[in-house]
Amino acid sequence: MTSHHETDIALDPELMAYVDGRLEPAKIAALEARLAHDSDAREAVAKWRHFDNLLNSYGRQADELPHSLKIAALERELASKLKKQHWRAIMLGTGLRRIAAGLVLFVAGWGSHAAYTTGGNMLASASHPYFVAPTLAGHAAFKLAAYQGAEFDGDNITSALDWMSQKMQHKIESPKLERLGYRVESARLIEVDDRPVAVFYYRNAENERVTVSVTPKWTEHGNYALRVVDLDDGVMAYWSSDQLHYTVVANDNRGAITTLAAAVQQ
Amino acid sequence: MGLKSELHEHIGSLRRYALVLTRDPVAADDLVQETLVKAIAKAETFQRGSDLRPWLFRILHNTHISALRREKTRADAAPDLPEPIANDCQHTQLELKQVLSALDQLPEAQRNPIILIALREMSYAEAARSLDVPLGTFMSRLGRGREALRQIVQGVGRGKLSILKRKGDSA
Repeated sequence: MTSHHETDIALDPELMAYVDGRLEPAKIAALEARLAHDSDAREAVAKWRHFDNLLNSYGRQADELPHSLKIAALERELASKLKKQHWRAIMLGTGLRRIAAGLVLFVAGWGSHAAYTTGGNMLASASHPYFVAPTLAGHAAFKLAAYQGAEFDGDNITSALDWMSQKMQHKIESPKLERLGYRVESARLIEVDDRPVAVFYYRNAENERVTVSVTPKWTEHGNYALRVVDLDDGVMAYWSSDQLHYTVVANDNRGAITTLAAAVQQ
Repeated sequence: MGLKSELHEHIGSLRRYALVLTRDPVAADDLVQETLVKAIAKAETFQRGSDLRPWLFRILHNTHISALRREKTRADAAPDLPEPIANDCQHTQLELKQVLSALDQLPEAQRNPIILIALREMSYAEAARSLDVPLGTFMSRLGRGREALRQIVQGVGRGKLSILKRKGDSA
């Protein structure tokens, strides 16, 4: 049976915080002065801390356990599920409903022209328009030095857009992927067949990259319906709007690429 | 920190918690596996932006409680104290056995707060969320549990340590 004083000790939040190293520094001196005159509290604190240390050391023995393949497999599966849930939550979010609706209209606008393709090395494919290949190449290598016209880091995107718009003779906007958790790292203006292509490189907190290109439509080039293409290590989408061609490449799944495409189109 | 690395870190924490709860490495990994299977099944209910660690610990905690209720008794609950021998390492082992044994005499409601905080994986608030109780309730259970643990260990310890002392004297 505990005494009144023991009950007080047990319910003293400052003693708890002190034992756990969570007491505000300003209060430590006062508490230690109190402990110097209260042998019951002093003994209790010492024992609690000692028991905690014993249990902590015991728990740490788990770090020495053999690697479990089953746990590792479940860990991967859970990560994948949580990631999908993340995208689903974004798609169902208030702000993105508008984008999703926009994507539906955008795809519906192209009607039966919309196509899905699977394939391997799309760089070698002649079935995609001219602005796709440099986006893929840039995504894969993160550089296109041979064709590179200019490069801007993520802090200078505003001036980059002004300059790119001038070069393209068309006002372009930075694709808004921040709400999807991506931050623009850099932007480049490259030239393909004497045509300017603006390429934006993004990355999220999980180190996943997305590459987006934007280029004006030229009279000799037609419109491209939304097309989603499976790559060896990701997925790509490209399409045309009234005045621009777009390409998005990501190391992600089809559900994510349509969300990204919708955000870019927005 | 990305989701994958965050999850990997949490699974290390889950294994530590599971080991202290089960006292058996195989049972601990079984518990973690069962927790992950349930987490996969419940992944759609997890809100990104909320804390992943308390969510996982809550699943593990509930899984463990369910298992205990199914089994009714825990095979390892009975104290199995080694013969005390006067050296520091084994003295620590003896103390650990006493503390684990004393923990088993506490109600679950007091035992789990003590373990969670001893592992130093979470704040008080996170630990309270893991156990699905208000912070005030958690703090009360932690304090009462610690004090009850001390009282039990002191009761056991006086007897065992006196044996230790006598054996040490005769050596």
